[in-house]
Amino acid sequence: MSENVRELLVSRKTGESCIHVKHRSGLDIFIREMPGFSTVQALFGTKYGSVNTMFKTAGDAEYTSVPNGIAHFLEHKLFENEECGVFELYARTGAAGNAFTSFDKTCYLFSCTKNYTENLRILLDFVQKPYFTKENVDKEQGIIGQEIRMTNDRPEWRVFFNLLRNMYHEHPVRIDIAGTEESIAQINAELLYKCYDTFYNLNNMVLSIAGNVREDEILKICDELLRPCEDKGLECVFPDEPEEIAAPEIYEKQPVGASLFQLGCKCPPAETGDIKKLMAATVAISIIGDASSEMYGRMLNKGLINSTFGGEIFSGNGYFSAIFSGESAQPEAVRQEIFGEIKRISREGIDEKLFGRIRKSLYGSLIRELNNVGAVANLMINSAMSGFKPFDAIDTVSELTAEDVLRFIRDELREDRFVLSVIERMES
Amino acid sequence: MNYKRISLGDNIGFSTIIDEKFNTCSVSVKLITELSPETAAAKYLAADILSISNSNIPTLAEMNERLSALYGASVGSSCSSRGDLQPVSFSASWLHDRFAINGESITAEMLEIIRDCLFSPNVIDGAFEEEAFRIAKNDLLDTIDGQINDKRSYAISQLHKKAFEGEPAGYPETGSREDAENVTAETAYKVYRELMKTAQVEIFYVAPEENDDVAEMFRNAFAGIKRCSRQYKFRAPSPLKPETAVAEETLDVRQSKFALALKSSSDDIFALKLLSVILGGTPSSKFFVNVREKQSLCYYCACRYSETKNYLLIDCGVERDKIQAAYDEICRQTDEVKQGNITDEEIGAALLSLENAYLAVQDTPSGCISWYFDVFCSGEIITPEEYFRKMAGVTRERLIDAAKSLTIDTIYKMLSKEETE
Repeated sequence: MSENVRELLVSRKTGESCIHVKHRSGLDIFIREMPGFSTVQALFGTKYGSVNTMFKTAGDAEYTSVPNGIAHFLEHKLFENEECGVFELYARTGAAGNAFTSFDKTCYLFSCTKNYTENLRILLDFVQKPYFTKENVDKEQGIIGQEIRMTNDRPEWRVFFNLLRNMYHEHPVRIDIAGTEESIAQINAELLYKCYDTFYNLNNMVLSIAGNVREDEILKICDELLRPCEDKGLECVFPDEPEEIAAPEIYEKQPVGASLFQLGCKCPPAETGDIKKLMAATVAISIIGDASSEMYGRMLNKGLINSTFGGEIFSGNGYFSAIFSGESAQPEAVRQEIFGEIKRISREGIDEKLFGRIRKSLYGSLIRELNNVGAVANLMINSAMSGFKPFDAIDTVSELTAEDVLRFIRDELREDRFVLSVIERMES
Repeated sequence: MNYKRISLGDNIGFSTIIDEKFNTCSVSVKLITELSPETAAAKYLAADILSISNSNIPTLAEMNERLSALYGASVGSSCSSRGDLQPVSFSASWLHDRFAINGESITAEMLEIIRDCLFSPNVIDGAFEEEAFRIAKNDLLDTIDGQINDKRSYAISQLHKKAFEGEPAGYPETGSREDAENVTAETAYKVYRELMKTAQVEIFYVAPEENDDVAEMFRNAFAGIKRCSRQYKFRAPSPLKPETAVAEETLDVRQSKFALALKSSSDDIFALKLLSVILGGTPSSKFFVNVREKQSLCYYCACRYSETKNYLLIDCGVERDKIQAAYDEICRQTDEVKQGNITDEEIGAALLSLENAYLAVQDTPSGCISWYFDVFCSGEIITPEEYFRKMAGVTRERLIDAAKSLTIDTIYKMLSKEETE
């Protein structure tokens, strides 16, 4: 590709827009100019997360398997280049720099109120310039070891991973994003370079930038700093995952004051770009667990739940689940209530008024997101990495019908696909 | 952004922050009152009840029904302590009317809901309605029980308890479990009435355009209350203990934690604030670079300054057998500043980071409210730019003096079991 290809992406429903540029280097760039705002947020990310543990490119004869937690380890190490740490570079401009690794992506970001062009230069430069040595890899083992310990002390993290471990037999989503102290001990500079060269190819990456910016200034810097990449035909494989869950219940004791639970349903994974399923599922869990519902009121009155009760959809490449969570001393009774409500809705259908209200509420929250620089930058990169356009969610919600939601509830929320994960209070 | 504050009389301030870039409207009402063991739990409960029901919308289910129909508008409350005070916060946020699909006025409905929640709660025979009260009370008891779930904030709360022993700030904003259990629907209602009568009130309205109806609604509603309030002083420096206090406990955790309270004898709040950023407020700070990056002693080691209690809080997550090494390095880095070993780059980086953070507050309604409430509490209502100019005026000498004014008052350690047993 020799030229940049530009398109304006517009919401059919609201008229909100952003710019998408397929850069000649292979990178997808999303820009939303937000005049009047002081801040700028940029995210430069790769479709590479903790689940990508087995892969090959068109030039490789064999698949490569790598230790759990390596994507996260790589993220830490990319923050250090040959001359100095990246934080030092941001310290000179005042930007707040950071990075995160999730199940299916790694993103490097900054937010700033001044010098955004300089910060963008720092971001694009260091992410394209890896520097791994035995010494700096060894040093990181200790810091990440501490991070793993810290997250294992977080009950909300344990309850979630216990849930995933019991939901999935083989899919690497069941493994902690940071890996374990044992798995990260196997990581070395050579493996990091192998992963970097495979996944940090601009054809596999997205740049998202929102706020007080100008498209021409951004593209000028991109033209200058992005090194064209050959598309290497990256292919990730995941082990065959049965439709059934691994085990229906898991309990763990921790020093917590209030017991926590997550009740998750393993659903068939969505096809890439299937935003309709995602939105139908999002509305479905609101309809089942909404605070205005009869079931919610009943559980609250019986003291089964408190105000922490809620639901969310967790989805990505090869996994999709609907999860209810909260604090409860009787999580099994909560499960029975939710099963009863799913049966009732499947039998009686969805109340049209309730559906209209929930849809309106979701629509409102999506509109509100567009008023926040960080939320917009995240929306653009998340959508792009999931195969959607940034305003697809708003447009899809507006057009969703109660029948779409009922179909999801009837077909996908099966009792035998639910896992209950509980962190119980440890008696001292 | 256009900021304006007027008085609604009777110790009630009303601030408007108008910025056409926002697509939402937000209201936040701060009822400022002292933090006291006798009333903390009752205030917490009253605040919660106000946000889940009112006399016209008597149940949580109906409240949620109304709010979701208003495009997912929200109503909430919080009761965090601020030094020795306990501002009870009631807030609401909704989409601006121009986004309403059928042209309905979301704002008019929301103003009614806010008025009814604050001034006409769901009360039967001189007590909060029993059902709403029971839900709120269970929630509070779960909140108190759940405080230990987040180990980092639990460690900080235990440090506060020890560092501010005998002062209101040493008391939890939720009250103790026993306090919470003893509150009745009647006593909570009494405390609410007292609060509306005696609290110093600051109201904030953030929106894309002016709307006189908001101030008018509050003016009229407060006119029905016989007010008798006083002005509170937020800054109440904590006295230094004659000897460093140490509190420790062993828990079944994988990572140990420790936290330090360093009390200051200085009133130079700008120097102390800047010092806290240089020590542990950014990834280029002395603690991050030396304790975490160079020595790999911990995953986080942070520092922040409290203007109200005039102390620096330092906390870190660390392996049990590295606590002493981390402590020594923290002391060494603090001593470095006392001896003047602080580079222009370190000062410059801290200032740039603060400037970035200050300017960014104007981009969200919640940022604007926090900013203008914070500066109100500090006693001088100034813009982020003006505040930063004062910060930028801090000299190296003032930083050294600020560092010299610090003494370790309290140490809290949460020790992991697994390395000993």
